[in-house]
Amino acid sequence: MSEASATASFRSLPVRPILLAIAVLVAIAVAIFAGGKVIAQQMVSGLMLGSIYMTVAVAFTLTIGVLNFLNFTIPTLFMLTGMVAWGVLSRGYLSVAGGWGWLLALLIGIAVAVVASLIVERFTFRYLKTRHGDATEHAIPLVSSLGFLLIFEHLVLIALGSEAQRFPVPFKADLYAFGLVIGLPQLASLLLALGIVATLTYVLKRTRMGRALRTIAESPDTASLLGVDVARIVPVVFILTGLLSGVAAALFTVNYGDVSPFMGEHIGTKAIAAMVLGGLGSVWGAVAGGLLVGLAETLSIHFLGGDSVQMVVWGLLLVVIILRPQGLFGASAIGKAKL
Amino acid sequence: MSGYASGIVAILCINLIFAYAIFVTAAAGQLNLGGAGFQAIGAYAAAWLSSSAHMPANVTIPLAILASALVGFVISFPVLRTRGVYMVLATFAFGQFVSGFLLRSPTFGGAIGMVVADYIGVGALVICAVVTTLLVFFLMASRLGLAIRSIHDDELVSTIMGVNVRAVQVAMFTLGGALAGLSGALYAHHFSFVEAQYFNSLLSIYVLLFVLIGGTQTAWGPLVGSLFFTLLPELMRVGGSWRYVVFGVVIVLMMVLRPQGIVTRALVARLSPRNWWPASSRAATRVSDAG
Amino acid sequence: MPVEPILSLKQVTKRFGGLTVADQVSFDVPQGSRMALIGPNGAGKTTLFNLMSGVYPLDGGSIWLEGRQIDGLPSRQRIGAGLSRSFQNIRLMPHLSVIENVMLGQHAKASGLGDLMTPILWQRAGRWRQMAIERLEAAGIDVHPDAEVSSLPYGVRKKIEVVRALMSSPSLLMLDEPAAGLNPRETAELSAFLKDVAADGVTLLVVEHDMSFVHDLCERTVVLNFGRLIYNGATRSVQDDAAVREAYLGSRRVAGDGGDRAA
Repeated sequence: MSEASATASFRSLPVRPILLAIAVLVAIAVAIFAGGKVIAQQMVSGLMLGSIYMTVAVAFTLTIGVLNFLNFTIPTLFMLTGMVAWGVLSRGYLSVAGGWGWLLALLIGIAVAVVASLIVERFTFRYLKTRHGDATEHAIPLVSSLGFLLIFEHLVLIALGSEAQRFPVPFKADLYAFGLVIGLPQLASLLLALGIVATLTYVLKRTRMGRALRTIAESPDTASLLGVDVARIVPVVFILTGLLSGVAAALFTVNYGDVSPFMGEHIGTKAIAAMVLGGLGSVWGAVAGGLLVGLAETLSIHFLGGDSVQMVVWGLLLVVIILRPQGLFGASAIGKAKL
Repeated sequence: MSGYASGIVAILCINLIFAYAIFVTAAAGQLNLGGAGFQAIGAYAAAWLSSSAHMPANVTIPLAILASALVGFVISFPVLRTRGVYMVLATFAFGQFVSGFLLRSPTFGGAIGMVVADYIGVGALVICAVVTTLLVFFLMASRLGLAIRSIHDDELVSTIMGVNVRAVQVAMFTLGGALAGLSGALYAHHFSFVEAQYFNSLLSIYVLLFVLIGGTQTAWGPLVGSLFFTLLPELMRVGGSWRYVVFGVVIVLMMVLRPQGIVTRALVARLSPRNWWPASSRAATRVSDAG
Repeated sequence: MPVEPILSLKQVTKRFGGLTVADQVSFDVPQGSRMALIGPNGAGKTTLFNLMSGVYPLDGGSIWLEGRQIDGLPSRQRIGAGLSRSFQNIRLMPHLSVIENVMLGQHAKASGLGDLMTPILWQRAGRWRQMAIERLEAAGIDVHPDAEVSSLPYGVRKKIEVVRALMSSPSLLMLDEPAAGLNPRETAELSAFLKDVAADGVTLLVVEHDMSFVHDLCERTVVLNFGRLIYNGATRSVQDDAAVREAYLGSRRVAGDGGDRAA
């Protein structure tokens, strides 16, 4: 890559995230200059929404990048966190925690998502020892994950009902900057989400665990030959998946204040779109894709009306996946050669 | 026939044709997670021709098949550039795009949907389902069927054996489009109403499940898969959401215990009349039902 | 007496990135001969097979089969031109039965939509299947035609692959390590079977490491090393050739060592 050699002396600096931040700031400045406050406000809410998409998209891209597995339970893990948190809070189990009950409830929700993700691992990858060596082999874990989607969703419907619920948000604080209203929890979630992704990138790049994950991504067979304990590393991917989906759901719940058994579907499809735009298996691609989809969504609602969102997002996606399967940014993926 | 029974038969026939639409590509190794999009094209083509152009069902249905077959043919070229998870995502995006387009299009009633004029009864549906089933069995017993199954297993070796892999794949996408269009047109004319929300991603997921749980190795797979999935919920005494939980458990257990689907080639061979008696001394090697 | 070559490689060249895996390789395979293609691991033998069967395009040179230039033909048309092959690692279709795998080998002989689109058993009153069964029996493969290929022993699967390659009635049969992983008895049987095949007028080109098998079956041998042709002559004098000796550098393969590669 010529870009890499040009910035050789700055190699230690994380180039991609900085470029991304600059691009976002420039876009907002242009928006304020050209379209005024309304557009800028739309862009800010788009970015906040995008930070949720981004976190879920990273969960998707991790399982695809490392395991070549399109995990359809991720939207359900997202939903589980929100609904379980609401469930334990509304039943009054957490009255002991006083004013911090909401936080404890969300942490329990995240823990449930992680446990559920590990159950999925137990029944999908643990049994996938036999290779069929044919074209539809990759469908087996995908179909299992669709089965788990049904199980989790309907268990929640049985236990907690099908109604959308109000999650009591304990604080409301808005920040006023440049004449824009920025919700403090929204800002916090954007920063938290970016922090998590940055940590994840660091882990993938610099640690022993990260190297093991990337080796599995290249080839599970080579990984075992090199002494990587694949059976012990694979659950890590599922723990991270549960954690990312759970954290995204917690941020969503705090920001928007409501939960429902169907909250995962909308987020899930947008996160898949974000992942595709960013390139499958690329963590920073998923970040950029998430923010882009969030922006595209709020702006297309503003300009074209709500019912065009689905067509615009998926039409764009179809074109991208066919013409540029490596994503819009061509960022290096965790696992290459998965085309 | 009671209204309840005929309702189930109608849904079974439509699901069966739809499942065969997904099967013909899956048998050649291409997973289509955008089935609802192809079905929607057939349904809306029939609905529009029937209510706006006032055509009878025996004209709208062939035209609807033609329309969805054409879309299947055209979309196969870009989609076949992708493989594996990418193809699953590309077809998924296609299905989402079609229903998004229909939701927004005033010509097709947008979110309100369309009323379909000409009604066809359950008898016609049964005939179409039987003809489709026979057609696919015929196809799978032919040399083309053998080529389809060998592409599923190994594209490179199939090519070297002289199979025109790309042509077969394009043909299967076109046939799949045609069959999905047929199922959509039948749906429109039988239920007299179409709405874009019906053709959602969940429908695409369900039909792919019918096929993969039934098995992609023989034409029996979709038949068993759609019978299983359409009748099991009716037979299950548990109601409401528990039904879907059981459903999910069945799917997960199937993938653990029998990922190749309920019906495999080896199972069919073992049950075939040819193997009821030991044919000769050659029968020494047992037909095994290995995965 | 000059015999018309059935296959001619002329200056065949292929590069992968900076690595030249076939470097201006030229040789002829005479009509009706049994020829071996040998060389150390990584010499480019399988690559050469892949170039001949059209898996990769050439970077230079040309390939001629029975006087017809075939390197521009799509891979799927080469079997119809008379070139058929087997694979180093068995590549039978795992979800097809024994008989279906063998019948796939007839694909190139089927012509027109009638042959393609009607049930195989209806055509010529089941002749296709009958032909396949007869071929299996002639090769001494004693298994149920509907058996699952994955349930069969390695040696039997290896043989089925040879039979599949023969079903297209090729004029040139290319076998990639047919004896690898076979026990001595199976190797001897295979050698006898291949001599019968050659006696029926099929020219053989065989990649093999098992030198006693090569000595038994093939009268002529070409040797590749690092993508270059270093020997082209009689099999009996190949071990006396200085260049060949150097290429193998003491790590020369001896008879029967194919066994360790079976796993």
